[in-house]
Amino acid sequence: MSRQVYLDHNASTPVHPEVVEAMLPYFSERFGNPSSVHGFGREAREGLETARDQVAHFLRVGKEEVVFTSGGTESDNMAVKGVALARRQGHIITTKIEHHAVLRAVQTLEAQGFAATYLDVDGYGMVDPDALRRAIRPDTILISIMHANSEIGTVQPARELGAVAREHGIPFHMDAVQTFGKVPIDLDGFNVDMLSFSGHKIYGPKGVAGLYIRKGTKMVSIQHGGEHERRRRAGTENVAGIVGFGKAVEIRGRDMVEEGRRLTGLRERLWEGLKSRVPEVRLNGHPTERVPGTCNVCFRHVESESIVLGLDLKGIGVSAGSACTSGNVEPSYVLVAMGVPLDWAMGAVRHSLGRSTTAQDIDYVIDCTEPLVAKLRSAMPARA
Amino acid sequence: MQYSPALIDHFRNPRNAGRMRDPDGVGEGEHKECMDLVRFHLRVREGRVVEARFQAYGCGPTIAAASAATEVAAGCGLEELLELPAARIEAAVGGLPEARRHAALVAVLGLRAAARDALDRARTRSERHA
Repeated sequence: MSRQVYLDHNASTPVHPEVVEAMLPYFSERFGNPSSVHGFGREAREGLETARDQVAHFLRVGKEEVVFTSGGTESDNMAVKGVALARRQGHIITTKIEHHAVLRAVQTLEAQGFAATYLDVDGYGMVDPDALRRAIRPDTILISIMHANSEIGTVQPARELGAVAREHGIPFHMDAVQTFGKVPIDLDGFNVDMLSFSGHKIYGPKGVAGLYIRKGTKMVSIQHGGEHERRRRAGTENVAGIVGFGKAVEIRGRDMVEEGRRLTGLRERLWEGLKSRVPEVRLNGHPTERVPGTCNVCFRHVESESIVLGLDLKGIGVSAGSACTSGNVEPSYVLVAMGVPLDWAMGAVRHSLGRSTTAQDIDYVIDCTEPLVAKLRSAMPARA
Repeated sequence: MQYSPALIDHFRNPRNAGRMRDPDGVGEGEHKECMDLVRFHLRVREGRVVEARFQAYGCGPTIAAASAATEVAAGCGLEELLELPAARIEAAVGGLPEARRHAALVAVLGLRAAARDALDRARTRSERHA
């Protein structure tokens, strides 16, 4: 069996052993409904609230400002739709490279009569704060801009963007699913009013996430049926998942800085290795303002899927930057928004490193990629 | 997405990849929606393919289908290749998921075009000698 190297941590991460240990009692011993008044419910409630404390402590916010959800997608929907529907009409500003959870939520609101502006990004995938300022209208009710893009890893100038939002008194939502627990987030410094973050990106379980809502932010609930989460999100809480999430956050608080340095070094090793050994390869995203573990590259004149398949056969898991569904190819909308030419964009591969990634893994990936790309290119027809 | 062992084998170890000196027929198949492109070079003797080589740009299944197509083509008459169904290529790679069926189509379009080109060249030669 060939070596197994997982380089798709932006998609999901393995659950940390300490997180699994923290969760286990809540499956069969402390299994009560946290809304129940008896002892079984109270012990579940205690686990839930301890997790909330852990998250609030990490973000340096009040615990009443933390709401647990089922995933980053729900958090994004809750933020965008919750604010918009509270105001019933108006204009929303977001970007062309947001996660589909934000894009589809905004498009759904547009269909209901809201107006929207989708900001362009530059060649690095960065939003210009002046472009944000120019897009603001008297009826702008929400700005939603991600902290970092999951494909390319570019970290936005959040401080400047948040300052523009605050200058105009407009609520600012930041999708931080790819940065929470990986890079520092200064909620007050960024003037963020709502922050989406997710468990399974930081070695916590899937199916649990959070939304920070600054006290005083006017929004409505989009999920009804109970008084849970201070009437902001109805539904019996995923207690075991939330307990695990809290533990994962506590661990990130301990490990984030050092891990960030380590992953930055490994990411540079990967890029330098690919650049020196594979002709016609380019790095996507900002060279320095990026999430530590993300390395998205384009191999010119080679198709993403064939690279992903070839590496998969060597035990390496990476993600393609283009998607072929039913014979229709769609290059990454993020790369398209950045202006990456099609003959490059079609060959995009994202490597996202994590806790388990070693220097030997990186060297193995480079060793496998070089001959694979050479072989694919050797069998390629020259186009007229 | 699940691929058959035959497809994986053709992808990992493509048969007959590359060009050919002085081919008797050359043809391309293209799937514009996904930009997959396959080109075949044929060596023909007495109306039959004795050797086929391929070049391909595209996803793994397309590369595998092109490789398998060169083996399917070997020994076939040119008239037979003109009518070759995509299902023969699909069978040669052990089947294709629905989302990748176009790979067999691209390959068969390329083979048919190469066969047509070989027949045209042969007709032109015999008209010159007549």
